[in-house]
Amino acid sequence: MELKVDQDKCLGCGVCVIACPVNASISPENAGGHGSKTTETIMMVENGFIKLFSVDKCDKCGTCQMFCPTEAIWLE
Amino acid sequence: MVNVKEIEGKNFNIKRSAEEDRILSFKDHVCIGCGLCEATCPVEAICLDEVAPIERKYTETYFSGHEKIAQNYALFKNDNEAKAKLCIAEDKCVLCGMCSGVCPAGALELTIGGVSIKENEAYPSLVTSAEIDEDKCLFCKKCEAACPRASITIDRTLPNRADLVTGEIEVCEDECIYCGACAELCPAEAIVVDKTTGEESIVIDKEKCVYCLVCKKACPVNAIKAVCRSCSYGEYDLDPAKAAITGNAIIDNETCIKCGWCEGVCPADAATVKQAFKGTLEIDEEKCGTCGACIDVCPCNVLSFPKSSGPGDRGTHLVKEEDYCIHCGACAKACPNGALTVTRTDIDYTPTSSKSWIAAFEALKN
Repeated sequence: MELKVDQDKCLGCGVCVIACPVNASISPENAGGHGSKTTETIMMVENGFIKLFSVDKCDKCGTCQMFCPTEAIWLE
Repeated sequence: MVNVKEIEGKNFNIKRSAEEDRILSFKDHVCIGCGLCEATCPVEAICLDEVAPIERKYTETYFSGHEKIAQNYALFKNDNEAKAKLCIAEDKCVLCGMCSGVCPAGALELTIGGVSIKENEAYPSLVTSAEIDEDKCLFCKKCEAACPRASITIDRTLPNRADLVTGEIEVCEDECIYCGACAELCPAEAIVVDKTTGEESIVIDKEKCVYCLVCKKACPVNAIKAVCRSCSYGEYDLDPAKAAITGNAIIDNETCIKCGWCEGVCPADAATVKQAFKGTLEIDEEKCGTCGACIDVCPCNVLSFPKSSGPGDRGTHLVKEEDYCIHCGACAKACPNGALTVTRTDIDYTPTSSKSWIAAFEALKN
């Protein structure tokens, strides 16, 4: 399985970035509050839309897919 | 991932502080109750709540015979009990900002890291504007009176009256009998006559005098002479700079909904308004129950019943001023009989690379 994003569907809300437990472990302030700007995280919102960075770290838990309001991020 | 809702009266903010600070703020007094946000929200977090008449400054604030709006009007008058026009479930909201993008009134605004998405080029926004060119403006205040949202303030300075007067009054004291008839008749109260025996006097205040010549016409002994500056000085002595009306025309962009009334009534073509939506507004007279709900909610004063022909007589058919319709659809939502149809055929918004946002804007067309 692979993590995929569709920027055409993305609203840029950033919910996946916060919900992702891997992101939270890499950059705890990401989940809790104050924002991370490190590309060490799996995904980040850049210029208003989602972008994958360290996609190899993904544990394929599907949390991001569960929270995405528009099915713009999914496991395939 | 918990959103925080801060409620302040009828306004509220939904905040999320993670990755970046996002704040969605809602201003109830700006909301026009059109429900475009409700239709656009991808997570169904928004619910258009209480329909209340739009508060207006110059026109009748309440007209409706529509029961629900009548109830809400009672609440609306008592501000403590009034409910917000919109409710947003903060646990559902993902703070994507689509509602903020499509809101034609600017009642909803998403800021990311303190910057509104309207200023972020990645996000599309509706192209609307309303401007008054102060170089052309006559400061006549017609737009101020026509604005359905009381968003325009015209602040003007009129010329000093004394600077516009083109003549002077002179009194020949040898002939004057100090009867005081001129002083009593003077509309500008510019003449003071002292009748005290032995100390008689007559004084003319040139700053107050408007050169109407009432005193001259009334004087029983023809003691008052008129000196016209226009003829005796050989040329018109009025200084155009001193006669100019100056001022400022200010549009409150927070409440302005870009309907175009100001442009329509302006005698000097000083106001220009750009609407974001183009379309049509249709009235089905057979379905119309003449309750007036649409008139109460229309933010642009587009709908009205024609003036009654006699006491107690109420118009039976609705009329529209379609030039000023912003095609928001608030009337169609308020109508209990489905008598109004608003169709948006063209929407002007700034370009974006996001297809999801383009789809959301295109979905406003119907």
